[in-house]
Amino acid sequence: MNKHLIREWHFMLRQSYVLVLLLCGFLISSFSVLTGLSEIDSQRETIERLKTADQLDRAEAQDKHNAPGALAYYSFHLTYSAPSNLAFAALGERDIYPWKHRVRMLALEGQIYESDAQNPELAQAGKIDFAFVISALSPLLLILLFHDLFASERASGRHELLVTTTESSFALWGARVVVRLFAIFISLILPFYVGALINNVAMTDVLILSLWCLLYFIFWIALSLLIGRRESSAPRIASILIGFWALFTFVIPILGDLAINQSIHSPQGGEILLTQREAVNDAWDLPVQTTLNAFTATHPEYIGYKHENEGFDWGWYYAFQQVGDQVAEPLSIRYREAALKKHQRASFVTLLSPTLLIQKKMTRLAETDALAAMAYERRIREFHKTLRMTYYPWLFSADKFNKSNLDLLPQFDSTTSGTTYSRKNE
Amino acid sequence: MSKIHLAQIGCVAKDELRYWSRSKLAISILTIGIVLTLSSVIVTAFKMHELSEIRHSMQETSEETFMEQPDRHPHRMVHYGHYAFRAPSPLSMLDPGVDAHTGNSIFLEGHRQNSAMFAEQEQSTGLTKMGSLSPAFIVQVIAPLLLILIGYSSVSRERESQTLSFILSQGTSIFTLIFGKGLALFFVVCLILLPLTISGVFAVLLGESLAIVGGFLAGYMMYLLVWVLVILLFSTLFSKKSESFTALTFAWILFCIAMPRIASSTASISVPTAGKLETDFAVIASLRKLGDGHNAQDPAFTKLKNSLLKRHGVDSIEKLPFNFRGAVASASEAELTAVLNQFAEDRMLQELQQTLVARLFGWLSPKVAIRSLSMISAGTSVETHHRFIRETEELRFRFVQSLNKAHMEKLSYRDDVNRNKGEEARKKASVSSTNWQMIQGFRFSPADATTRFTRSADAYAQLTLWIVFLLLFIGYTGRRVQ
Repeated sequence: MNKHLIREWHFMLRQSYVLVLLLCGFLISSFSVLTGLSEIDSQRETIERLKTADQLDRAEAQDKHNAPGALAYYSFHLTYSAPSNLAFAALGERDIYPWKHRVRMLALEGQIYESDAQNPELAQAGKIDFAFVISALSPLLLILLFHDLFASERASGRHELLVTTTESSFALWGARVVVRLFAIFISLILPFYVGALINNVAMTDVLILSLWCLLYFIFWIALSLLIGRRESSAPRIASILIGFWALFTFVIPILGDLAINQSIHSPQGGEILLTQREAVNDAWDLPVQTTLNAFTATHPEYIGYKHENEGFDWGWYYAFQQVGDQVAEPLSIRYREAALKKHQRASFVTLLSPTLLIQKKMTRLAETDALAAMAYERRIREFHKTLRMTYYPWLFSADKFNKSNLDLLPQFDSTTSGTTYSRKNE
Repeated sequence: MSKIHLAQIGCVAKDELRYWSRSKLAISILTIGIVLTLSSVIVTAFKMHELSEIRHSMQETSEETFMEQPDRHPHRMVHYGHYAFRAPSPLSMLDPGVDAHTGNSIFLEGHRQNSAMFAEQEQSTGLTKMGSLSPAFIVQVIAPLLLILIGYSSVSRERESQTLSFILSQGTSIFTLIFGKGLALFFVVCLILLPLTISGVFAVLLGESLAIVGGFLAGYMMYLLVWVLVILLFSTLFSKKSESFTALTFAWILFCIAMPRIASSTASISVPTAGKLETDFAVIASLRKLGDGHNAQDPAFTKLKNSLLKRHGVDSIEKLPFNFRGAVASASEAELTAVLNQFAEDRMLQELQQTLVARLFGWLSPKVAIRSLSMISAGTSVETHHRFIRETEELRFRFVQSLNKAHMEKLSYRDDVNRNKGEEARKKASVSSTNWQMIQGFRFSPADATTRFTRSADAYAQLTLWIVFLLLFIGYTGRRVQ
């Protein structure tokens, strides 16, 4: 068996166009890993810089103000979603969804949709990451490498001779397939291994990802061979295979997208903001007690609060901020549910397309998909809630606050999952 | 060099068309091409029309609710704020460009520049990252592939079956043959561009400049012509049709699939940009020096106070002929806006430089060239988004200052200071709601035709160079084959 493999290896090395394809594959894959690493590095550096600047800024605000209401108004809090170690290989949706945010204690619905997005023209073209190289480019390279396995021998008239003189069909075709698979696999995945080593990716993640790539490659090779057996002209075979590729990469996703968008209606984002704004602004003109009643309906522990001065009062101010969020909440929930539902239906569509499927698997593993972005948004909401809960006692009973209490303010922690957020002062 | 006969070119082209009409594959590919283009044109036109309706109506609603606000303190309206929506340009029905990737609405309020919110892409299925059913994508990526599938063997077929030497010995020059085949492919190009042209006519009816639409379609014509030439070149260069096929497919993968993304990645790494969040820290630091415009006692305004007192020859702010608090609000808004604009301009400049690096890849890939040309012409490129940001900022500044003016001139200082002293005082500290009328009339449209042409000059040059280069190469290869 070894001698067949060695023979085919030497045979492959003599075919210059195969070598060109392998080299191109290797170069593009290396480029994708290199740029992916640098992108993730810069995201990490940005987060570090933001953390420092955020602390400085808050310290200054806390120096300048003394009342808990003013402190809450002027201190912003950084939240972020740090990229995972594997993110360099699948940049995913991080150029579409925000991964950094600064929030304060005002109505959250007015803040959370601010997005510090990256260059839209680059995001529209998409970046070349390893996930793209594997899911979209590798099938094309595989098609070019495997479509004419039989056809080229037929065309040069050697097919019948080879078939009758060889000892078994593995000795001939099997060895050739294995050698080419091995060569393309190595040239595409080697740069990823180097990147994974640099970025300390967990061994299990590397293994899982390698396995998926291998299975994906085998799928495309099997398809190529299947079609290759039936047809005789190499360009015809390749045309059909590219047709399949286009079906999986463009047609199924586009049709799926059309169908899903037809079936799910999401409220316009603008409506949430308008609703929230009206609620917050109306509160200035409404009797104070109306707002406080709406507030204590969800926060009964502050029922005893008395609105002291005639004019402006911080407790009342934050109460109507919260009431603004409460009024917008049904819309906001519908908005988020629509996004989630779209995502869930899209997962069914990915089952019809191996290209989408492997991309989804990779971004899930790297935590760079829409689900990860939604989880981050939930963490922001949790954090905002913790922040409010920390400030409320200080706002509603003036004697409970002195400035050393500020140490009790929650710190955003990007590793906590949304639900386990704990308050320091509990 | 042998002569080229027009009549003969026509004969060759007719022959090639007859050859395709007998091939099931060619017919089905042609059908797919036309159906795809047509459906993308229709679907995108409806979608953009709907978006345009929604955004226009939301713009109107936003203005109406603003104007319906009752009499109140003008500064309340500064914080009440206003919404602006980016209406899509007429040609966005052919190339939606960055529309889905940027927020399409922006909240305008005093003392702050917000970013645009609610990018469609965030609320999408995420399925169309590889390609969408837009005419731009279909013609830029799919059409070249279809042309390749139809035309890869146009010359190499004749070589492989040894009919080429027969044709040449009959007195037909190789260039007559090549251009005849090219003419047949060009016919397909025209078929693909027909639905786009019809859509272009609608864009003109919707108010787009005729020159821009013409330039847009000419750009696409040039782009597909580049592909026709690439096909003719490779088909002449290789003696086997399987070789010309592999080479062409490979060129397509490189130009259409890999290169646009390589361009983005390179640009994003070579020109790092700080996000808004990060520059906001610098903004905050600069703003601290300016003082808080809500607090007329802020020491930062002493200088303003002294100069106003001196100019009007009075000794206290109560005696000024206008409301001092309004003057402070107005002055501090102007100062603050100058700082904010400085940072916003820097950020947009960085983003533009980043984009320009990506567009340089048009010299290496015609697909990148047509992408820039198409988005710039359609008014859906990053420049249009920047224009939206600038225009809405102007709108923001105008309405805030007009409210501050009302604050200054239509509300007395005494009433203003006493505004928190009971219901009656609060009513007194307000101005009439007729002052809210000035909000009307924001309609966004892309830059004028000349600006867009100037911006896309590079992309036209890139495509022209590709055509010239390919023609020269075909001339060289043709002579060798002959």
